[in-house]
Amino acid sequence: MTSTDAAERRAPQDRAQVHAPELEPWEVFRQEKDGDPMRHGGSVMAPDAELAVHYARELFGRRQESVRLWVVRRADVLDLDDPDLLQPPLDRSFKKPGGYVMRDKLAAARAQSGQAKPKARQG
Amino acid sequence: MTMTTLRPAIVAGLTDLIGTMADDEFVIGFSDSEWTGIAPLLEEDVAMSSLAQDELGHAAALYGLLADLTGSDADALAYDREPGAYRHARLLDHGRGDWAMTIARRYLYETADAVRLEALVDGSWAPLAELCRKLVREERYHLMHVGSWFGRLADTPGEPRDRLETALAVLAPDAGTVFTPLDGETGLIDAGILAASMSELETRWRSVIGPTFARHGLAIPPRTDRPARGRTDHGAPFDWLWGEFNTVRRSDPGAIW
Repeated sequence: MTSTDAAERRAPQDRAQVHAPELEPWEVFRQEKDGDPMRHGGSVMAPDAELAVHYARELFGRRQESVRLWVVRRADVLDLDDPDLLQPPLDRSFKKPGGYVMRDKLAAARAQSGQAKPKARQG
Repeated sequence: MTMTTLRPAIVAGLTDLIGTMADDEFVIGFSDSEWTGIAPLLEEDVAMSSLAQDELGHAAALYGLLADLTGSDADALAYDREPGAYRHARLLDHGRGDWAMTIARRYLYETADAVRLEALVDGSWAPLAELCRKLVREERYHLMHVGSWFGRLADTPGEPRDRLETALAVLAPDAGTVFTPLDGETGLIDAGILAASMSELETRWRSVIGPTFARHGLAIPPRTDRPARGRTDHGAPFDWLWGEFNTVRRSDPGAIW
C-alpha cells in the first residue's frame, strides 16, 4: 500500500477526528536496592501506560539507580487531604507513641510503694 | 579461540563484521542524537537521547574490540576516516527526517540488529560472543521502545499513519542493507563465529517483521536491488552528519579529551 492509496481511502472528515493523545501525569516510585522501601521518585507525563513505563525507565533508571519501579496513573491514586480527617482540632498527642510523659507518674508510684528507681543495667 | 590463534583470514572477516556493526551503531546513535532538545515531548527527548547514548556506547565497545583485534585506536577508528570509508548500512543514510522517519528507520534497524546479534551470541570467538550477549540485553529495551512507537503511528489514521507510510516508502529500497553480504562471512561461518550468512539472516529478519507489517496493513519492503552497494555511496546526508560528529575531534587534532 502506498501513502497515496492510504490518503485516498480516508474521507477528509476522518482526518479532523484525529486528536493528539492527551498527556497525563504518572507517579513513579523507585527502589534503590533490594530490600529498600519503594520511595516516590517523581512523575512523568505520558499518553498511556506503555509509554509511561518507558519514560519512567529512562528518567529514573537509565543510570542504573533503581532496581524496581512502580508506575501509577496519578488519577488512580486515592487522594486524602481533608483537614477534618487528618488534622482534627483537638489535642491528639495521647495517640502518639511518646504521647504520655511517664516520668512524674512513675516517680509518684515509686514513692507510694517505697521502691527505689532501678539502676541502669551494667554492660 | 583467543586473539593470538586466529588465522589471518578470520581476522579479516572479523574486522569486516565488527567494523560494519560498529559503524551501524555509531551512525544511528549520532543520527538519533539530533533529536536532543526537539523531540515531541520532554520525556521522549530524554528517552531518545538516552537511546542514542546507548548506541554510541555499543559503538564504543565494538570499536574497542576492533582496536584490540587490529592493534589500532578506538577513537581513531570512530572519527579519523573520510566519509567514504564508513561501512554502515545505507538504511542509515537518509538524514534525521521527521519523527516518523526516525521511528521507521529505528524499527527496521533494531529488528535487523536483533537478528544479527542472535547469530553471534553463541559464536566460537568468546570476545565477540560475550559482547553480543551484553548488547542483546540492552537492545531488548530498544525494541520495546521503538515497537511502541511503530505500532501507535501505524494504528493512528491521518497524519501519523501517512507520515509512517511515506517514511517506509523512502527507506524501502535500503531496508535490508544491514544484511549486505560481507567478504569474509563464509570463513566466519566455517569457524563457528557467525551462525548464518547475511542472506540467510535477511530471510530470518523478514520472517520476524512480516507478521507486524501484515497486522498493520503495511507493505513489507522489497529486497534491495543493488546489494553490492548496501554499505557504500553514503551521500550528502552522511557527509553532513560526518562533519557534525567530527567537529570537536578536528578542532584540536591529537588533543586528549
